[in-house]
Amino acid sequence: MARSGTRRRRLLAAVVALASLVALAGDAVAHSGGLRNATQDPISVPTWLFLTTGGGVVGASFLLASFVTDRQFVADVHAWGRAIASPGRIAALATRTFGVLALAATLAVGFVGPEDGPRNFAILLIWVVWWGGYVASTYLLGNSWPVLNPFRTLAAALPSLSLSYPERLGSWPAVAGLLALVWVEVVSPLADDPTLLATVISAYGVVTVAGAVAFGVDRWFESVDPVAKVFDYYGAVAPVGRSDGGLRLRLPGSELREARLVDGRDEVAFVVALLFVTTYDGFVGTGLWAGFVRGAVAAGLPPVVVYLGAYLGGFALFYGAFQATARLARRTAPTFLTGDAVARRFAPSLLAIAAGYHLAHNLGSVLVLAPAFVAVALAPLSPPTNPPVLVGLPGWFGGLELAFVLVGHVVAVWIAHAAAYDLFPGRMQAVRSQYGVTLVMVAYTMVSLWIVKEPFVSPPFIG
Amino acid sequence: MTANPDTTDRTATDDSSLAAAVDPDRDVDVPGGVETHTCEYCGRPFPAADLLVLHRGLAHPDELDDAEIEQFRETYRSESDDISRFRIAAVGALVLLYFGFLFTYILVA
Repeated sequence: MARSGTRRRRLLAAVVALASLVALAGDAVAHSGGLRNATQDPISVPTWLFLTTGGGVVGASFLLASFVTDRQFVADVHAWGRAIASPGRIAALATRTFGVLALAATLAVGFVGPEDGPRNFAILLIWVVWWGGYVASTYLLGNSWPVLNPFRTLAAALPSLSLSYPERLGSWPAVAGLLALVWVEVVSPLADDPTLLATVISAYGVVTVAGAVAFGVDRWFESVDPVAKVFDYYGAVAPVGRSDGGLRLRLPGSELREARLVDGRDEVAFVVALLFVTTYDGFVGTGLWAGFVRGAVAAGLPPVVVYLGAYLGGFALFYGAFQATARLARRTAPTFLTGDAVARRFAPSLLAIAAGYHLAHNLGSVLVLAPAFVAVALAPLSPPTNPPVLVGLPGWFGGLELAFVLVGHVVAVWIAHAAAYDLFPGRMQAVRSQYGVTLVMVAYTMVSLWIVKEPFVSPPFIG
Repeated sequence: MTANPDTTDRTATDDSSLAAAVDPDRDVDVPGGVETHTCEYCGRPFPAADLLVLHRGLAHPDELDDAEIEQFRETYRSESDDISRFRIAAVGALVLLYFGFLFTYILVA
C-alpha cells in the first residue's frame, strides 16, 4: 500500500478541524502539518526556478559521481559492513505475537469502535503508526515485516497445501496487487471510515492467508503479496539487512547495487509501480488535475474512467519511459546488453527515491498526529472528543522535507553509477550508460517537486 | 578534482560480481551486421575490441597470460585519457550550473 499524501492529508485535515473547535489553534496547525504548506510560504522563488534548481541538483550529482572512476573504491563502499547480533527467538516470538494482537485490535476497534475516523484507534494505527512510522522504519532501520507480519504468522501456523506456483507469472501478481490496493485506497474513504478499513483488511487477510497456505508461505510473500514485497524492497535501502542467516550492518542504500535485487521485467515493473503510485496519489491532489477531471466529466466521461485511465495510463508511461531510457544506454554506452538487462540494474536506484518521498510525505503528519494516537490508544472504545495534536512544527521543517526528497535522488544517482561500474568494463562506458537514467531522474525530480509545491486541492468526485 | 585517473584508479579485480552479472543468452542482443568481439571465457559480446580487453582483465584476470595482462594495462591507461577529457568537461558543466543558478537567483529572487 504505497500510501500517500491525499488520504493522510484528509485525515490530518479532519483531526485539525476537530482540534480547532476547542483550541482555536487550527490555523497554526494547518500551516505546520503538511509538506505543501511548509514549502509555499517562506521564499519568493518562482516555481520554474524552484523546479530547475531541484533538477540541477540531481544533474550536478551525476557530474560529481562521474568523478569517481576508481573501481576499488566503488566496490569497497558497497562491500563495507559488519555482522551484528540477531535478536533471539524469544524476541521473534514476541514480535509475532504483537503483530497478531495488533491485527486483532485493529479489526475489533475498526468494526465496533467509534465511527468517527480521526478518533478511531484502527484508523490511526494503520495510517499514522503503521503506514507513516513503521514503513519509515523498514528503510531507515531494517525490514522486520517478515517477523511482524500477522498474516505470515497465521499462515505459517496452518498446514500448507504446497501447490506449485505458476512460475511464468513471476512477480506480476504483486504488480497487479500493488496497483489494486493503492487504487482502492485513492478512490474509497479508507482513512475516514473505520468499518470500511477493517473490511478491506479482513478481505486482504483472507486472500493472503489462503494464498500463503496454498502456495507456501515463502513463495506467496516473495512473489504475490504486494505489501511484503514493498517492505522487502524498502529493506534493501536500510542500514541493517539479512545476509548468511544473520544480520549485517552496512551503508544505507549499498545493497541497491546488487544484481539479484531486481530480476526480470516483473520486478522492474514493481519498483516503477511503487514510485508511480506515490506520484499519482500526489498528482490527483493538484489543481491541474481537479480542473482536468471537471473538464473531462463535463465532456461526458464518467469520473471513474478518468481516474482509472490516468492511473493505468500514467503507470504505462512511467514504465515505458524507464525502459526506453534503459534502452538508450545501448547507444550512449555503447553496449550489446538488452534494455531489460540495463533496466534491471538501474531500477533499484528508484527505491532510494521512493523512500525519500515516503519520508517527506509522511514524517510531518506522523509527528502532528502522534499525540492523537496515544490519547486514542489509551481508551480505544471511548476516545477523547478532541484528540490532541502537535501544534506548530518549526518553519524549517518544510526545508527538511525537501532535503529528504533530494537526498533520495542523490543516493539514486550514486546507485546508478555504482551499478553501471558493475555492469560495464569501460569506465567511460559506464558513465555514458547513465545519460538516459539521469535524464529520467532529473525529469522525475522536477515533476515531484512541482506536485509537492502545488497547494492541495481535494480530488473531485471521489471519497 | 581532475587528478589523473591513471594514477588514482584501482581496478577491483576481486569484485567477482563483474563476471557473474551478465547472462549472454538472456541479457545480450546484438544488432545484425555489426562487428562483435566476444569473450572466449563467458561468451559476452562487446561492440569494441577495447571493451573486450577491459572485460577480460576485470572479469577473468586469472585466465590471462602475461601478454594479455599487459594489453589490459595498456588499454586501461589509454582509457584514462578519455576520462581526463570528460572530467574537464564535467568541471566546466558544474561551473556553468553553479554560476548559472547564482546569477539567476540574483536576478530573479
